[in-house]
Amino acid sequence: MTYWIDVLDQALIFAVFALSLNLLMGFAGQVSIAHGAFGAIGGYLAGYLAQEHGWAFGPALAIGVAAALVLGLIVSLPALRLAGEYLILLTLAIQIITLVVITSISALGGLTGLSALPGISLFGSTLLTPQDFLKLLVPIALAVFLLMRRVAGSPAGRVLRGIREDELATQSLGKDVFAYKSQVFALTAGLAGLGGVLLAYYNGVVAPGMFGFSVSMTVIVMVILGGSANLYGTLVGTALVVASGPFFQKAIKLSVDKSSLAQLVAYGVALVAVLRWRPQGIVPEGATPSALLRRMRPGGGMRVAGAAEQARGARVVAIGSGQPALALEARALSKSFGGIRAVEGLDLSLERGRITGLIGPNGAGKTTVFNLLTGALKPDHGTVVLGGRDITGLPPHLIARAGMVRSFQDVRTFGRLTVLENVMMGVAGQRGERMRVVLSPLPLRTGDRRTRDRALEWLDFVGLAQRADEPAGSLAFGEQKLVALARVLATEAEVLLLDEPASGIDRRWSDHMIEHIARLPEAGRTVCIVEHNLDVVQRLAHRICFMHEGSVTAEGTMAELSRQERLQEAYFGPVG
Amino acid sequence: MICAFIGIDSGSEVLQALVNGVINGCGYGLLAVGFALILSVTGRFHFAYALTYALAAFLAAVLERVYGLPFAPAAAAGLATAAVAGVACDTVVYRPLSDRAGSGAMLAVFVASLGIVIAGENALSLAWGPGPRNLTGIGSHSISVAGATLTTLDVVSVVVSVALSGGLWLLLSRSGFGRQIKAVRANAQMSTAIGIDVARVHTAVFAIGSLVGGVAALLYALKYAASPDMGENAVFYALIVTFLAVSSSSPLRLLAVGVGVALVERVASIWLSPQLSTGVVFVLLLAFLSHRSLRLALGGRSLSFNLARRRTIRGAAG
Repeated sequence: MTYWIDVLDQALIFAVFALSLNLLMGFAGQVSIAHGAFGAIGGYLAGYLAQEHGWAFGPALAIGVAAALVLGLIVSLPALRLAGEYLILLTLAIQIITLVVITSISALGGLTGLSALPGISLFGSTLLTPQDFLKLLVPIALAVFLLMRRVAGSPAGRVLRGIREDELATQSLGKDVFAYKSQVFALTAGLAGLGGVLLAYYNGVVAPGMFGFSVSMTVIVMVILGGSANLYGTLVGTALVVASGPFFQKAIKLSVDKSSLAQLVAYGVALVAVLRWRPQGIVPEGATPSALLRRMRPGGGMRVAGAAEQARGARVVAIGSGQPALALEARALSKSFGGIRAVEGLDLSLERGRITGLIGPNGAGKTTVFNLLTGALKPDHGTVVLGGRDITGLPPHLIARAGMVRSFQDVRTFGRLTVLENVMMGVAGQRGERMRVVLSPLPLRTGDRRTRDRALEWLDFVGLAQRADEPAGSLAFGEQKLVALARVLATEAEVLLLDEPASGIDRRWSDHMIEHIARLPEAGRTVCIVEHNLDVVQRLAHRICFMHEGSVTAEGTMAELSRQERLQEAYFGPVG
Repeated sequence: MICAFIGIDSGSEVLQALVNGVINGCGYGLLAVGFALILSVTGRFHFAYALTYALAAFLAAVLERVYGLPFAPAAAAGLATAAVAGVACDTVVYRPLSDRAGSGAMLAVFVASLGIVIAGENALSLAWGPGPRNLTGIGSHSISVAGATLTTLDVVSVVVSVALSGGLWLLLSRSGFGRQIKAVRANAQMSTAIGIDVARVHTAVFAIGSLVGGVAALLYALKYAASPDMGENAVFYALIVTFLAVSSSSPLRLLAVGVGVALVERVASIWLSPQLSTGVVFVLLLAFLSHRSLRLALGGRSLSFNLARRRTIRGAAG
């Protein structure tokens, strides 16, 4: 019996590692193979303080976790801008350097580590047997599970999943992507530190091998096997991996050495097989016990808020009163890439409550203008003034919050989020959207219900409320463009920059789209659209700016512009 | 006097460090040549390079020591197995994964290759035991050059490394098939459009890369020993050299960067414990990545490494 309780204890400790890694990797989409190293920081520091300086378990644990958290925060800084293979390499370097440094410190026992750590006293008794440790490990693992579930299920968790799907789009909706990434990195590093402390105390030793590269790999296996972005899955994955050793020992009766090798072979093969044939893992994303129950109960359809029109009417007044006539004014904007001047001395102003069309031949710099206005690119020269406020050089999320939001030519919906969640991402000023709010005990449900109602209104506005629960990636391209439009509208930004909203979709959807965009000025929105289809521009735009070789060379109504030779030349080749 | 001040006993210690640096560096460089070829042409983060590396040397050692084969056929069998395993990684695992995973392909391939390494290494241990095995094939004796000591085996490995890298460089720049490989490296989609069989090029690249890595493994095992987990450290070095060499997968440049990395490590070991001097090259990698991150933060958008370009091309195509 004790044998199996020992296995359970180990599973509980590894669950702490795996749950936190899943938040980072499964939800936020950031790879880390430094989880072992963060565990080492926690384990070694707590072990050293306990053994050499006689610290009690509580304070030693707190310092161990804090140290891992701080290291995680430091590591996250260079990690913020790196993606893919560079992030893997960075965390690999951290993993190796941390262990090299630890093993070269003689006070930490070099390659052998520290042994015979003092035991833990809890409620006056010392934890000795695996049974005793359950009293400590069950509450801690449960607390970590609940914490991760709260973060993952909160608006902040939705933002993390948005970052996983598309960083740029998340940022364009006013979310400070870098802050989220560094906070989630630090939080999960701290929890790995917690796992390290528990591992050290449970075994009574700390040694380099307990936290090596192979431990980082094992934790990754637990997450992927159980199911990325599903915390229940992580529990399953952890249990399977930890229990596979005893399985080979007891059921197949291999020797201890052989069974640990066989265990590694088995989960290596399982990892490849899962990725190959069931990439979502054993328990796929979104599957929860309660979702299972709901599916068994009939009914429970979609509720569309009835007060939609009224709510929108109220916001129109709020947006449109007592403001200068120009919503946006860009002066003398320039941007070069190497020797190529993409935008040069561009002046562009958007009149409040009107639709301005930005047209021009391919390569005229239209999308670059959007990138400059929204902060995705920093202009070399020039200023951008939004509603009287100079926003030149601000990062994209601040510009979005200041009231100017863009859509993308290639839609950039969050494919694995539902249609409704996509739009909810746009809703501004949500409670519980920041990580620190999530970590406080206040309830978030009411606020999120309000966000949900708002998002449903906007979905209803574009006519997709019936599809709210489907993954956005499963919709047709035209429908995804409508979702992207609803998402942009939900930000309630006054100025909307729409990049080719009606291109690449069939006639039925583009008519639908044009109709929606045409209604926006009534609601007090200022719109700028980039569009290739002149027919669409003519139907929508009150005023048209014609761009050629990086600057606006003509503006007026379509009728005025079409009389100009230059435009005809640019679109149809030299005249005569 | 100066030597004592900076902590060196004599000039010959420095010379010995330099010689060792060049010898080790050729090994690192050769490792990176195989790894970088695979990474740059196929875009796969082939961590299981660690396994094909170990297979070549460990199987050769087992065949030689356990089954009594002479060195040459044992080494040939090891190399052949490595090449087949490398190709199998791609065709059986990576290709179907990346066809399906789209934008997440890099991560999926990386995690799958971790799985391959875990399973493969431990299967080798299970079959023949985890302990290191010697490979004796080529006899070796030490020679002294200008006060530095090295072995004939060291000379052989430097010559083999340079010859293989040079040969690969010739293959890439002079032969028709080499030009096909370079075309796929530059733009896989365009290559398909002009009639290059991209899948065949990938297969060839995995075979060549695994063979090159296998030779590096054999040279290592001849000097030290072969063990099932010998590939992990090797792939770390391959990664470091590949990424420090940025934008280039020219075999000769990789060899040069490999020598540079080993020299830094050797020179560092004059002052630091051997344990810490291993860490120095990872600090080098960390510095490189931080610099890169800083440059991105400051708005420099030049993603010079081939993969970045390859991804935008793929992304633009939808």
